[in-house]
Amino acid sequence: MTQANRLKGGQIDRDTTLNFTFNGRNMQGHPGDTLASALLANGQRLVGRSFKYHRPRGILTAGSEEPNALVQLRTGAHLEPNTRATMAELYDGLTATSQNHRGSLEFDLMAVADLLSPFLSAGFYYKTFMWPKSFWEKVYEPAIRKSAGLGSLSMLEDPDIYDKGFLHCDLLIIGAGPAGLSAALTAGRAGARVILADEDFATGGRLNAETMDVDGMAGADWAAQVVAELNTMDNVHLMTRTTVYGAYDHGIYGALERCTDHLATSGGKPRQILWRIYSRRAVLAAGATERPIAFGNNDRPGIMLAGAVRTYVNRFGVTPGHELAVFTNNDDGWRSAADLAAKGVSVKAIIDTRDAPAVMDVPGARHIRNAAVVNTVGRKGLRSITLTDDQVIDVDCLAVSGGWSPNLHLTCHQRGRPVWDEGLCAFVPGRDLPPGMAVAGAANGAMTLATALSEGRDMANAQIKELGFKASRKAAPKAEDEPQECAAFWHVRQSKSRAWLDLQNDVTVKDVKQSYREGFRSVEHLKRYTTLGMATDQGKTANIPALAIMAECTGKSIPETGTTIFRPPYTPIPLGALGGRARGKDFRPTRLTPSHEWAKNNGATFVEVGNWLRAQWFARPGEQGWRDSVDREVVMTRRSVGICDVTTLGKIDIQGRDAAEFLNKVYANAFGKLAVGKVRYGLMLREDGICYDDGTAARLSDNHFVMTTTTANAVLVFRRLEFARQCLWPDMDVHLISTTDGWAQFAVAGPNARNLLRKIVDANHDISNEAFPFMACGEISVCGGTPARLFRISFSGELAYEVAVPARYGNAMMGVLMQAGKEFDAVPYGTEALGVMRIEKGHAAGNELNGQTTALNLGLGGMVSKKKDSIGSILSERPEMNREDAIRLVGFQPVNKADKLTAGAHFINRGDAANMANDQGWMTSVAYSPNLGHSIGLGFIKQGHTRKGEIVRAVSPIHGTEVEVEIVPAHFIDPEGERLRV
Amino acid sequence: MSDYHLISAPPLALYDQSFEGVSLIAPADFAVVSIALPLGGEAAALKAIKSAFGKALPDVGKSVLSKSVRLVRMSLDQGFVIFSHATPDAESFVAKKLKDAAYTTDQTDVWTGLILSGPKARTVLERICPIDLHGQAFAVNDTARTTMEHLGTLIIRTGDDEFLLMSASSSAHSFLHAIEISIRNIA
Repeated sequence: MTQANRLKGGQIDRDTTLNFTFNGRNMQGHPGDTLASALLANGQRLVGRSFKYHRPRGILTAGSEEPNALVQLRTGAHLEPNTRATMAELYDGLTATSQNHRGSLEFDLMAVADLLSPFLSAGFYYKTFMWPKSFWEKVYEPAIRKSAGLGSLSMLEDPDIYDKGFLHCDLLIIGAGPAGLSAALTAGRAGARVILADEDFATGGRLNAETMDVDGMAGADWAAQVVAELNTMDNVHLMTRTTVYGAYDHGIYGALERCTDHLATSGGKPRQILWRIYSRRAVLAAGATERPIAFGNNDRPGIMLAGAVRTYVNRFGVTPGHELAVFTNNDDGWRSAADLAAKGVSVKAIIDTRDAPAVMDVPGARHIRNAAVVNTVGRKGLRSITLTDDQVIDVDCLAVSGGWSPNLHLTCHQRGRPVWDEGLCAFVPGRDLPPGMAVAGAANGAMTLATALSEGRDMANAQIKELGFKASRKAAPKAEDEPQECAAFWHVRQSKSRAWLDLQNDVTVKDVKQSYREGFRSVEHLKRYTTLGMATDQGKTANIPALAIMAECTGKSIPETGTTIFRPPYTPIPLGALGGRARGKDFRPTRLTPSHEWAKNNGATFVEVGNWLRAQWFARPGEQGWRDSVDREVVMTRRSVGICDVTTLGKIDIQGRDAAEFLNKVYANAFGKLAVGKVRYGLMLREDGICYDDGTAARLSDNHFVMTTTTANAVLVFRRLEFARQCLWPDMDVHLISTTDGWAQFAVAGPNARNLLRKIVDANHDISNEAFPFMACGEISVCGGTPARLFRISFSGELAYEVAVPARYGNAMMGVLMQAGKEFDAVPYGTEALGVMRIEKGHAAGNELNGQTTALNLGLGGMVSKKKDSIGSILSERPEMNREDAIRLVGFQPVNKADKLTAGAHFINRGDAANMANDQGWMTSVAYSPNLGHSIGLGFIKQGHTRKGEIVRAVSPIHGTEVEVEIVPAHFIDPEGERLRV
Repeated sequence: MSDYHLISAPPLALYDQSFEGVSLIAPADFAVVSIALPLGGEAAALKAIKSAFGKALPDVGKSVLSKSVRLVRMSLDQGFVIFSHATPDAESFVAKKLKDAAYTTDQTDVWTGLILSGPKARTVLERICPIDLHGQAFAVNDTARTTMEHLGTLIIRTGDDEFLLMSASSSAHSFLHAIEISIRNIA
C-alpha cells in the first residue's frame, strides 16, 4: 500500500522509510509519524470495533484523548492491548493489530450487537440478567466479557523491565506547548531548576499542528529554537515522552516516561520509568482538548475532531480525506478548513451552528450557517453527511469542533473544583489549586496563542519570584490573538439516529436521557450507570457534552450539574510501571544470617522470617522428609549438643547513666538491681497492659546493657524505645543504637554445650558452672583473641549458651563450632527444631504473644512488678484483664497418643456443642515431640491453671479435626529446670 | 594458642566493579563507631571529639573529614566515626581516644559500605534515592538518612561525583543488587 494520503510538508523525515504492519498488511511511514498518522497516510480509516455495539471505528483525535483507535502493539509476550494509535510512535518493524472483533476487522461477527442495540441500552445488564441468580458469575458475566471489551492480554509474563526514580526541581512545567515553553524559557534563564515534561515525543504542543507565527517565525521553528536554548541550560531538564499523571501532596507529581516504546526493542533497558517529581512550584500548561458534537451516526470512520485533522495535515503531512467538510460551533473549526484548503485539500462546506458571518475566507468551501449535521452514511468509512435542511454532501472526512476544554485535570487531584466559563463554554481551573501550582495557557482558558505565551511567562515569573529568583523583564514572545468565539452547542436535537457521546464506551445521547429518566441524575451516578467517562480516555472528549445534556434534562445549568471528580492518573499507567523493578525476588530485600553460606553448603532448607532467610532444617542423606531431619536435630541436641544461628533476634545497645532505670520503665519486671554480668528475661507491655514483646537484657557494665528482642519486633521495639527516650523521659541519660546486624549470635545447646565452648573460648575466660552460672553474661574472646560475648541463656531448656562474635566472623564461627563439636556429634539445627524444643519447654513465642494476651494469660502475672511504674503496668490491673476465668497458658497432649494436634483448634468441654458459645480457648502451638513420642501443644484455656488433668476436645472445623486432649503443665521437658543449671 | 581461627568475611568484601560512567567499590577495612553524647556532658564530649580527631563534630546532616577519619553528625546527641581499621577493635580504639567522655558502640559489622563514584553517580542514584542530590541541595560532606529500595541507607557526599552509601550488613547483597540494577538501568 502506498502512502496515498501524504501531503507536502510536515515534521516527518521523508528520507527514511519505516515499514510496519497493521492486521498483517505491510505499510510504510516515516520517522516523526505516529501509528495513527501512518495509518491515515496509508488510507486505513477503519482501525477498530467499538466496545459494546462492535461499530466500525476510525481515528478521532491526534492525542492522548483518543477513545477509538485502540490497537494491540507488538506480539508474543511483548503484546500490549489498548494502545492509543495516536500516541504510538512509529518505528521500523512495528506490528499492530486491531482488537475487539470476532472474525476480521472488516467482517466482525459480533457486529450483530449493533442490530440488538434497542435491547442493549445503558444498564441493560443490571435489569436483564436477574435470574437465575447463580447464572451471573458463571454464565452471564463471562459471556458479556467475551463479547464486549477492549483488547486481550498475552497471558505471558511481561519480559520488559521497568524502573522508578526520583527527580527534584524548583519549577515543574507540565506541557511543552507555547505556554510551557514560554514558562521554561523564563524560569530557565532566571537560573531556576526546571523540569519541562511533555507526553509527546516532540516538543511544541499545538505549535507543531498550527501555521501561526511566533516572533516572526513559524511556531514550530520557534519551539525548536527555544528547545535548543533550553538544552544548553544545565538547570533545565527536558523530558519528552513523559506524562505527568498525578498531583500529590507537598508538590509531588507522578510522571511516566516511556523510554523505549518508540523502539523495536528495549535493548535491556527499562521500557518505562515511573518518576516521583518533587517540585517547589509547578506550572500546569497542559493545553486543551477539543470536544465533538453529538449527531446521528457521528462515530463513523472519517469523522474526526477538527483540530486533529489540522494536526495530521500540518504536523504529519497527511490528509485524512480528499473531500472534507467542517462542522463547528466556534471560530477555531474554521482554521482547520483554512489549513486544509491551503494544502490543496478540497473543503466542500463549513457547517456552522451559529448564524454568523464567515470567520475567514476558505477557498472553495461553502459556508452553511445556522445549520447542523443530522446524520451520516458510510458503514466502514464516511461517504456523506445529511444536514438539518436535508441536503446531502458527499464527503469522506468530516472535521467536527464543539469547542475546547482546558486540560485542568491535575488542578483537581487534591479536591479542587473547576468553575464554568460561559464565554469559553468550558470549565476552567478554580481557585483551590494544589498548593504551589499555577496554570497557564489553554489549560487556564487562555485560548489564543498570544495569551498562552504571555501567561506562560507571567506564571513562571510569579512562581520563581516566590522562590527568590529574579523575575524576567523580557517581554513574552509575540504572536497573534486568533479568533476564538464559541457558542454552546452540544448535540443535534433533530437527529433521529443514535448520537454518540462517549465513543470508547458506546454511550449515546439516548443513554444519558435514559439515565435521567431512571433517576441517575447526579453526574457521578450518570457515570456509573452508563459507564460514561471510564476506561483509557476517561471521557476527555465525552464528559462535558454528556453533562451538558444531563443539565438540559434536569433544567439545571452546567455549573449546577457539575463534573465528576478527576483523579490520577491523567492517562493510563501500566501495572508494570507501577510495579517497577519490584518483581520476583526483587519484590523486597532479603536479609541473610552471617552463617548463611555455611548453611547453604550444608543442606539447609531456608524459610522466610520477615525479610530474613533462616535455616529451617539441615537434611542429611537418607532422610525421607523434613520431620526426619527435625526429629534428629531435636534428639541430638538434647542428647549432646546442637548449634543454631539466632542472629535475627533484635539487639539494642543501651548506654547511659539512667539505662537501668530506663529498662525498669520499659519492662514490666524489675531491672534496676540487675547485677553486672547477669542477664534477665524481660517482658514488655503495651500501654493498655497487653503483652508487647519479650526478650532478655544483659548488663555489661553499670551503664551498659544489651537488650534482645524477638525477631519480628526488633524494629518496632527499637522505635518504641526511641519514642520513650525522646518523648516520655527526655531527662534521662539514655542512648540507643541497634546492633542486630553487628553480631553473629549462635545458640549452643545441650549437655555438651560447655564442653564444646571450652574448646573455642580463650583460656583466660572461665566458663565453668561456678564462674559462669545460668543467666550469666560477659565480654570474652574466642579462637585466639576475637572479641565475643557470651550469654548463658536457654530457649531449648538445655544447658545452653548464646555466643556472639562480630558478624564478619559469623560464617567462620559456625564452621568452627561444628568442627569443635565433631567429637560430641554436634548438629546444626534450624528454626523447626528450635520451635519444637521451645514448645517442649513451654516457652511462649509469637503464637502466644499475639497482641491479645496478658501477662496473666501467659502465667507471667507475677512478673508485672507492683513496686515500680512501667509502661502498661497500671492498665494491666483492670478487672476485666484479671478475671478469675481468664484464659491461661497450659500444655495439651492427646488422650490417644497417636492423634495429631492442630494449631488453631478451639477447646470445647466434653458434651458441649462445638460453637462459639462454648469456646474455652485455643491451641496456639503444636509440635511432634521426638522425646515424648507424640504430639504436644501449648494453648490458652479458661482457668487452665486449675484444670490440669481434665480432658477437653480440641475442635478445628476448618481442618475437620476433633481430638480429645488432656490439660497438662506447659513444661513437657525438665519441668524443674535442672538441665539449665548444671 | 587456640586450635581454631576465625576468618573475617564482610558480606561485600573485595567488591570492586567499574561500569560506564561509574565505579562501585566496597571499601576495605571499613570501620564505624557510634558516639553518643551524654546528657549534660555534651560540651565535654564535643571537646573530647575535637581533641581526639582534630575536627569538631559538625552539625546534624553534615560530615567532616579529618585526615582519613570522617566524623558524621547523625542527630543532636549522636555521631559516627568512619575510618579504616582492620582489626575488630574499632570501638575500643575510639573509646580510648575519647577518654570516656562519650558512649561508644561498635557499628562496623552493622553496616556495609559502598562507594559510588563517577560522572554518572547522581544519575544512578536518581533511580533509587528519594532525596535531592543536586550540588545546591546536597553539597560535598552533606549526609542524610534515607531509604533505597526499602533499605535504610546513610548517604554521604564525599566528593562532587562520589557518594558513600551505607546500609545494613544483613541485607548487603540486596543493597548491592539494587545499586547494580540502577547502574544497569541508566541509559
